Amino acid sequence: MNISPTEAEEALEAIQVVMQKTRHYLANSGAYAFLIVWGTIWLLGFSGSQFLSPQIAGYNWIALDILGGAISVVLGVRMKKKVRSSNPIASGTRIGWFWLLLFLYCGAAIWVSRPVDGRQSAMLIILFVMLGWMAMGLLLSVASIKWALVLTALALLGYFFLPGFFYVWMAVLGGGGMIALGLYIRSNW
Amino acid sequence: MSTLNETIHQTVRLRIMAALVTLKADEEVDFTYLRKLLDVSDGNLGAHLRKLEEAGYIVIQKVFEERKPHTYIAASPAGRKVFQEHVEALEAILKGK
Repeated sequence: MNISPTEAEEALEAIQVVMQKTRHYLANSGAYAFLIVWGTIWLLGFSGSQFLSPQIAGYNWIALDILGGAISVVLGVRMKKKVRSSNPIASGTRIGWFWLLLFLYCGAAIWVSRPVDGRQSAMLIILFVMLGWMAMGLLLSVASIKWALVLTALALLGYFFLPGFFYVWMAVLGGGGMIALGLYIRSNW
Repeated sequence: MSTLNETIHQTVRLRIMAALVTLKADEEVDFTYLRKLLDVSDGNLGAHLRKLEEAGYIVIQKVFEERKPHTYIAASPAGRKVFQEHVEALEAILKGK
C-alpha cells in the first residue's frame, strides 16, 4: 500500500482530531451534568442561607445535599454505561473513600477551628470541596482544575471583600457559574 | 520498519481505532456513545466495526443491562499494536517528504 506524504499528513491530522475529541468528550461529557446539578444546589442553598433563618437554611442545605448526592449517584451509574472498565470497582471505591475522608477532614477542621458564623463554615467547606475537585482533576481531567481555581478565587473574593453579600455572591457566581459552565461544556463538546 | 495497514487506513476505521486506542487498555465504549463521538450512522459504524472485528483489531461484547441490549467495543492488544505501527508508518512517510 502506497500513499503520498499529503495523504499521510491528512491521516495523522484526522487521528489527532479524533484522539483529542475523545479525550475531551470523556473528560467533559459527564462533568456538565454534575456541574448543572451542583450549581443548582449551590444557587438554592446559598440563596437560602442569605434570605432564610439560620435553622431553616441549615435544613435546606441538608435536604439539598441529600438530593444532590442521590442525583450524582444516578448520573455516575449512567456515565459508567458509556465507558466501562473491567476494573471499575477499585477506582470507584477509591474515589468514594477519598470524598468520604475529605468530608471527615473538613468536619474535623471546622470542629477544631470553631468558626464564629455560618459564613466561615461555608468558606471552609467550599475550600475542601474545591481541593477535592482539584484532586479529581489531577486524576481524571487536568483541564477541569482551572475552573476549581476560578471558583475558589471568586469565593475568597466574596468572603473577604463582600462579607454582607457572601451568600448571594456564592449563589450567583458560584452556583450560577457552575450552571453556566455546565451548559457551555454541553453545547461545545 | 512499520508498515501501513490497509484495513485500518480507511477513513472511518482509522477514526474508530483512534478513538478506541485513546481509551485505557481495560476500558470499552458503548456503541451509541461511539456513534455520537464519530458522528456516523448506525449502519456505517456497524459495517466498519464488523471489518475490524474480523481482522481481530477490536473486541465487541453484547450484553443485557436492565433488560436492555448494550454493545461495548474495545481495541484488542493486536489492534493497538497495528494502529501504533500504522501511525509510525504514516510518520515515516511524512518525514521522507
